[in-house]
Amino acid sequence: MPTPLIHRFSLLERLVHWVVGLTFVVLLGTGLAFAYPSLFWLTTLLGGGAAARVLHPQIGALFGVGILVMFGLWVRDMFLDGQDRAWLGAIKHYAAHDREKVPPAGKYNAGQKLFFWVQSILGIVFVVTGGMLWFPESFGAAWLNTARLLHYAATLGGGLFLIVHVYLGTVAYPGTARGMIEGKVTPGWAKLHHPRWSGDRADR
Amino acid sequence: MPDSLAIKRVSATSSALIPLDSLRSGGPVYSKLVDISKCIGCKGCEVACKEWNDLKVEQTTNFGSFQSHQDLSSNTWLLMRFNEVEVGEDLSWMIKKDACLHCEEPGCLFSCPAPGAIVQYQNGIVDFNQDNCIGCQYCVSGCPFDIPRFDKETKTVAKCNMCIDRVESGLEPACVKTCPTNAIEWGIKDDMLAQAEKKVERLNERGYEHAALYNPGGVGGTHMMYVVPHGDRLEDYSLPAHPSASPGQLRGLNVLQRIGSYLLGFGVISAFVHFLAVGPETPEETT
Repeated sequence: MPTPLIHRFSLLERLVHWVVGLTFVVLLGTGLAFAYPSLFWLTTLLGGGAAARVLHPQIGALFGVGILVMFGLWVRDMFLDGQDRAWLGAIKHYAAHDREKVPPAGKYNAGQKLFFWVQSILGIVFVVTGGMLWFPESFGAAWLNTARLLHYAATLGGGLFLIVHVYLGTVAYPGTARGMIEGKVTPGWAKLHHPRWSGDRADR
Repeated sequence: MPDSLAIKRVSATSSALIPLDSLRSGGPVYSKLVDISKCIGCKGCEVACKEWNDLKVEQTTNFGSFQSHQDLSSNTWLLMRFNEVEVGEDLSWMIKKDACLHCEEPGCLFSCPAPGAIVQYQNGIVDFNQDNCIGCQYCVSGCPFDIPRFDKETKTVAKCNMCIDRVESGLEPACVKTCPTNAIEWGIKDDMLAQAEKKVERLNERGYEHAALYNPGGVGGTHMMYVVPHGDRLEDYSLPAHPSASPGQLRGLNVLQRIGSYLLGFGVISAFVHFLAVGPETPEETT
């Protein structure tokens, strides 16, 4: 008889995660198309340059709502405690899969918590500067050029985060993506990655 | 003139960085020369512009000025601005022919993300190709002279095209053709520069000691130049004293974009190397 799975993410959590994730991928694709002429062909996937230009901010608005809901859902779990700081001190052992030297993590490890905070800040930058570029008539040229610079800088941060996030969540740590798709993880996965959490909040 | 429409730069292509005339050049380079001191304020140029370019007539309102329209629009590519300014005891018109200056280094083209939406010809003309425009309006914030205007109906941007269809046939732009006092002249840029020098000298002799040529270096010079009687009061003409084709933010953006592609590539490679080095960490399941 197989061991019962542990509930990790609710339907709403998973839904919001995928809204943010999928919109971000589309936004990254069209955004890079606008930043790099050699990638302009990516706009074809959304119906051409003009269509991509219209859709990018609209999809961006959905992304912004998603980030906001995500923040509300998860913020209370994201404050760092003493063991999180110890975890950060041992991050190279974590990266080297040297588990004995890594302080046990709760529902989220310190890396995930920091990821959450940086992502929230990037979200604010994206939405504010993106909103300005969406309605350029209301702003002067210097403001808009600054907004373009910041919007792109945030894109770099977000792009790197996406790469790390997808890598860690799929090939690096098998069993992780399952939590965000089915909402459930195996007891072994929970014991390995989140020893302080496994079981104690299985009711969520 | 077969070479008059040779291309110099196309937006969002490699030629935006390496202009094609650095590889292969030839053909005349033109410029308009606008002598403000000779303008009598007839606005004939505005009418000629509308007429030749088939631009829609717009309802105007009296806002207490001799000026016809309050601002440029996607259907008004040329506007004579009559700024009323006190010079000494007198009231003076600081007239500006507000239209695209056709910069040698066009900020609009450098800002444009849509390949082929903005084209610069070797003859100096900068033209928008609305078929390729995606309506992002980056050219509007990229222009140091606040010239391009967004059309809410077509969702594209428009501006003066220097009557390129006339120029390619060997004619002068419509505004030049119609000007009754030759306040707007047209010709080879070097000739216009020599002309401007003489005009400035004559104005100096007439007592306009600050008379000056406006051909700002921050945009590599322009293909519509002005001779202004009060060169020390450019802001009264609504002419920026130090326009730039690449302001600090956009230079920063270009640097980031160059680093950025490597950074994202580095991210992917790092993840791959990490995977090869330590592999996946698979949890043990106790059954």
